[in-house]
Amino acid sequence: MDDMDMDIPLPEELEFLESNSHFAEEQEQEEDHHYFFEELESRSPQPPPDLAVSPESESNGGHKRSRPNSPPEEEEKRAKARVAVKDNSSAADEDWLRYSPPQTEPAAEEPATLAMEKTLSRFASEIDGECMPITAPNGDRVYAKLNRFQGEERVAKLDCDGYSAELSSEPINVILERLEQEAFAKALEASSEGQSVAEVPEAQMVHERLWVDKYAPKSFTELLSDEQTNREVLLWLKQWDSIVFGSEIRSTSDDVLSSLKRHSSVVHNQKPLNSKFSRMNGGSKWSNGSRYINSRSMDEGGSSKSTQDVYNTKSRNIGPPEQKILLLCGPPGLGKTTLAHVAARHCGYHVVELNASDDRSTSTIEAKILDVVQMNSVLSDSRPKCLVVDEIDGALGDGKGAVEVLLKMISAERKPDAGKQNLGKGQTERKSTKKRSKTASLSRPVICICNDLYAPALRPLRQVAKVHIFVQPTVCRVVNRLTYICNKEGMKASAVALTALAEYTECDIRSCLNTLQFLSKKKEALNVFDIGSQVVGQKDTSKNPLDIWKEIFHKRRTKKMERKYHRCKSFEFDSLYSLVSNRGDSDLILHGIHENVLQLNYHDPVMQKTVRCFNNLGVYDLMNQYIMHTQQMTLYVYLPLVAISVHHIVSQVQKPNIEWPKSHQRYRTMMMEKMDILNNWHHKIPPLIARHLSASSFVEDLISPLLHILSPSTIRPVSLQLLSDKEKDDIAQLVSTMVSYTITYKTVKSDVLPQTLKCEVADGLALSLVPPICDFINFKDYTSNHYVLSVPMKQVLVHEVEKHKILQGSIDKTGALAYGRDGVIETKTDIPLANTNHSTAVDMKTNEDQVNVVSRQLNANPTTVSSKLNSSKSSSEADSGKLLNMGNMKKTSRSSMSFFDRFRKVNVKGLQSDDKSLREEDTLKKDRHPLLFKFNEGFTNAVKRPVRIREFLS
Amino acid sequence: MLWVDKYRPKTLDHVMVHPDIAHNLKQLVTEQDCPHLLFYGPSGSGKKTLVMALLRQMFGPGAEKVKVENRTWKVDAGSRSIDIELTTLSSAIHIELSPSDAGFQDRYVVQEVIKEMAKNRPIDTKGKKGFKVLVLNDVDKLSREAQHSLRRTMEKYSSYCRLILCCNSSSRVTEAIRSRCLNVRINAPSEEQIVEVLEFIGKKEGLQLPPGFAARIAEKSNRNLRRAILSFETCRVQQYPFTNKQTIPPMDWEEYISEIAADILNEQSPKRLFQVRGKLYELLINCIPPEIILKRLLHELLRKLDAELKHEVCHWAAYYEHRMRLGQKAIFHIEAFVAKFMSIYKSFLIATFG
Repeated sequence: MDDMDMDIPLPEELEFLESNSHFAEEQEQEEDHHYFFEELESRSPQPPPDLAVSPESESNGGHKRSRPNSPPEEEEKRAKARVAVKDNSSAADEDWLRYSPPQTEPAAEEPATLAMEKTLSRFASEIDGECMPITAPNGDRVYAKLNRFQGEERVAKLDCDGYSAELSSEPINVILERLEQEAFAKALEASSEGQSVAEVPEAQMVHERLWVDKYAPKSFTELLSDEQTNREVLLWLKQWDSIVFGSEIRSTSDDVLSSLKRHSSVVHNQKPLNSKFSRMNGGSKWSNGSRYINSRSMDEGGSSKSTQDVYNTKSRNIGPPEQKILLLCGPPGLGKTTLAHVAARHCGYHVVELNASDDRSTSTIEAKILDVVQMNSVLSDSRPKCLVVDEIDGALGDGKGAVEVLLKMISAERKPDAGKQNLGKGQTERKSTKKRSKTASLSRPVICICNDLYAPALRPLRQVAKVHIFVQPTVCRVVNRLTYICNKEGMKASAVALTALAEYTECDIRSCLNTLQFLSKKKEALNVFDIGSQVVGQKDTSKNPLDIWKEIFHKRRTKKMERKYHRCKSFEFDSLYSLVSNRGDSDLILHGIHENVLQLNYHDPVMQKTVRCFNNLGVYDLMNQYIMHTQQMTLYVYLPLVAISVHHIVSQVQKPNIEWPKSHQRYRTMMMEKMDILNNWHHKIPPLIARHLSASSFVEDLISPLLHILSPSTIRPVSLQLLSDKEKDDIAQLVSTMVSYTITYKTVKSDVLPQTLKCEVADGLALSLVPPICDFINFKDYTSNHYVLSVPMKQVLVHEVEKHKILQGSIDKTGALAYGRDGVIETKTDIPLANTNHSTAVDMKTNEDQVNVVSRQLNANPTTVSSKLNSSKSSSEADSGKLLNMGNMKKTSRSSMSFFDRFRKVNVKGLQSDDKSLREEDTLKKDRHPLLFKFNEGFTNAVKRPVRIREFLS
Repeated sequence: MLWVDKYRPKTLDHVMVHPDIAHNLKQLVTEQDCPHLLFYGPSGSGKKTLVMALLRQMFGPGAEKVKVENRTWKVDAGSRSIDIELTTLSSAIHIELSPSDAGFQDRYVVQEVIKEMAKNRPIDTKGKKGFKVLVLNDVDKLSREAQHSLRRTMEKYSSYCRLILCCNSSSRVTEAIRSRCLNVRINAPSEEQIVEVLEFIGKKEGLQLPPGFAARIAEKSNRNLRRAILSFETCRVQQYPFTNKQTIPPMDWEEYISEIAADILNEQSPKRLFQVRGKLYELLINCIPPEIILKRLLHELLRKLDAELKHEVCHWAAYYEHRMRLGQKAIFHIEAFVAKFMSIYKSFLIATFG
């Protein structure tokens, strides 16, 4: 229909719209009362008995909703406007303006200006479509709109009606009277016949189209979607004007733009306007696109140059939009596609749609897009094209081509943008066929539509496109539109029922309409219960879990809800149920509930609500476990009920503060880690001990005492030599414990480089237990009273443990070797930690400082050798100690010395007598293997002489 | 070595805590015929010690030469094949493993691995016994399916394979398995027995025990012999010679739970419950089994509770523990218990003090 009415909204119009929007609020309440009356009225002209003769009544018939009080204005208008045919639209236009009582005052003056501006204008550019200049009797020159497609018939009407001074053969009051009579008769008929009335339109409707198509918005003002989005889309499209239509054409004057902006910022409530806005005469085919050709030609003709110049100066600076692609996203059924089409047509584009049903492989799509975006059609319809790529998120596999091609074009655009606009394009093309080199940039608007903004295929597109997210229109707007449609279709529907429907479908207009159409076949008034029992209207979309939690913790309270308390309950139940079950991931939902429920501010003096909540959670856990265990998946339907009952217990009116549940996940992973540590440790402990323990007994019984035992406070942190025998025994005991449980100390940073290790040790950085059993008692907010050994002490222990291990290892190895040979030489490099005293040295020489030569036959010899060695060793130690007098180094060296001391002592003892002490047993074990050769690298300035291995062995 | 390991009795003759059971077992073994055995009892009562001593009695010292084997078994489960990693301890005549390590795949362990092991006759039968022994740990953690699979194995290969099952609670071992075994209940040692053991160790170590000191340790040990010996050694390490006033270091997690209990008794509100949740998670993270947390928590709460409430609180603790065992997410149920307790306690406080 007449898009041109609102084509270029002028500032005053917008203001007017705004003023109307204030009334809208008030009217809302009254509307319910109007419905019945309105319905009658709207139906009255439908059977055209005698009115059809006059052009006015024809037009009224066309607009099914024309009002009886419209003719006076029409008359008034006609006095000013000469072309009667055009008045169709403006008259219709005024219908909605005048419809509501409070609006009559603005309507009185507005129609004149509106009529002038819509179809007759002093500026050709304001007219949407073709126009022709007309000179009024008083000399004013205006441009009147031409209808190309109506053909001869209209032209004839133009002739007979438009130019005749007399508008109608009948005076307007006669027509008015007749209409009223008719309406009255209708009303009578309706009241007497009841149902049969409804059947009349039904019978007609059978052959009609889907309501969705039938009542699809055809003009910009009819759009139900969010006003701001609409306007921004329009604005974006308008910004293309300079490119597409050339900047000579006034695209949109600045004041309009600014008022557009201003307007879009105002929270807009146009429901009554929209709903009452008649969308009649779908047949009136005003060409809205052809105006550009026309106006361009007019431009060339130089007519009205003077007036246009004003605008040109203003619009020069408006370039193409920053982002070349518009990405609309939102849930289905909110009118994204409709908006794209309507807005594009509104701005004078020919819409070319590519959707998922088309072949979208790269090769085909490229040609297609190029065709659309760069070529001008040779057909009669030479409006520029606007590409609408629908369902672009469904683009998978081949379908990704669309995104790729678009991106390529944008990037091609970007590069030449830096330099000259058009010249550079050719060079950037890689493939550079002739066609492409000329046309590879995006010079027409492209609108992409998707449901899921975060679909992976769209990721690159998201960065370059201007993104608009569709939000649901308010329920009132949808309900108003639905009411209007119901009225038109002769369906009885209460506002409450329609509200319920809209809520059920989450304002998905498409599904609302489909549901309504379906329900209309039932031939009775629509009531709430129909909708409540209907599943047709329900959408199977899953929501973000955060939204679901919000729903669960948030109690909705609106006036209507309170009024219909009973209905509200069941509705709430249904919607929550579908919300949770559609999401599916009930585990996540329940964890969210679990973690957030205690943060709510519900009134709970003796914690009873909390107990009930947790009982519900427990029930969920049991059910879930049972289902998993018995594989009875049908029971899954009951899981969401837990969430609903929690909702009933704790939901609050105030907005909850939801956090994503992390702690359970954290607990699971950390427990796994610790379990791993335990198990590894368990496996490393020699079986003789480990077999008596289980992982749980570790944490329950073992770790706390073990930590105490491992860090005895009684041992003084002095060198081993200074300790008493008893203390040495203690240390030996400690070391054997550590070895049997495979515990040792390591620096916190497990660096491989001995250099850094050394530094850390020198700095006294922490040595920690490995495996990290300390962690098992490190509870949050808990301080254990475990004694921590000093660092030198730990170093001593590390050293001892290593030694012990080496000894054990050599025992094992010799045990494994056959005893055929005289001796076995084992060479081991000392571990870096034990080595620290030497590694600082400047001079790197081998020092065979720890040579343990034990063999049963060779018992006599080694003593001497080792004592010899020992003396050399001790002298070296003394020297090194003198050279680098660092405390801890001394200690370690002493500890290594003490080893030798012990070794000597034991050896001597071993020669003399066989004591049964533990220590001796230990060394006897050592004695069983023939030779231990320890190789140390490090500094010593002792007198050295080469010693052959043979000498040890002989 | 820790004293726990050092003074562990190696033979049935040396067993101090359950001499009667040891005697019976010895008789059983010497009479050549050994049935399947099911040892059950609380942890720290000496089950494994008895089992090892029994093995030694059966096979001599050879049973102590064990090697650890970490093997991956490939099991065909219907259409796919599953890899199961198991650690086994084995000697020439016995194999020891805990099938519940395989988690929910324990069924396959029982069906395939154990059957495989049981099938193979010991080659060297020149020893006295013509059978080998499978020691299965933690049988109560086996799933029901695994236990069902086990019972057939027990019957089929009983001629040359004996199973020794170990678990904490026989209630989660199916009737069928229990009836196929000789059930041996190992009680937790009485405090007197613990004192006896401690004094024995003290004598061996040459320590002076003040009178009543061992009894105090025994009392704190919750009749867990392992724990008693460990804390005995801890005391020794911390302070020697012993004094009667010496503190016996508590278990850290028990301390933590008593802190939680104090928190709960101080304030009852959802906010406090939220804090308690954090602490409960801490315990769970550190691998402390939820049942034990709940039990200990109840214990701590009961200590400071009015006698009137004790019955009710115990009832609810049992109720929630039952649900916890049926369910999967222990934290829900422990928290539910805490909430319930808070509710009971708070209404009690309001009723009493207004």
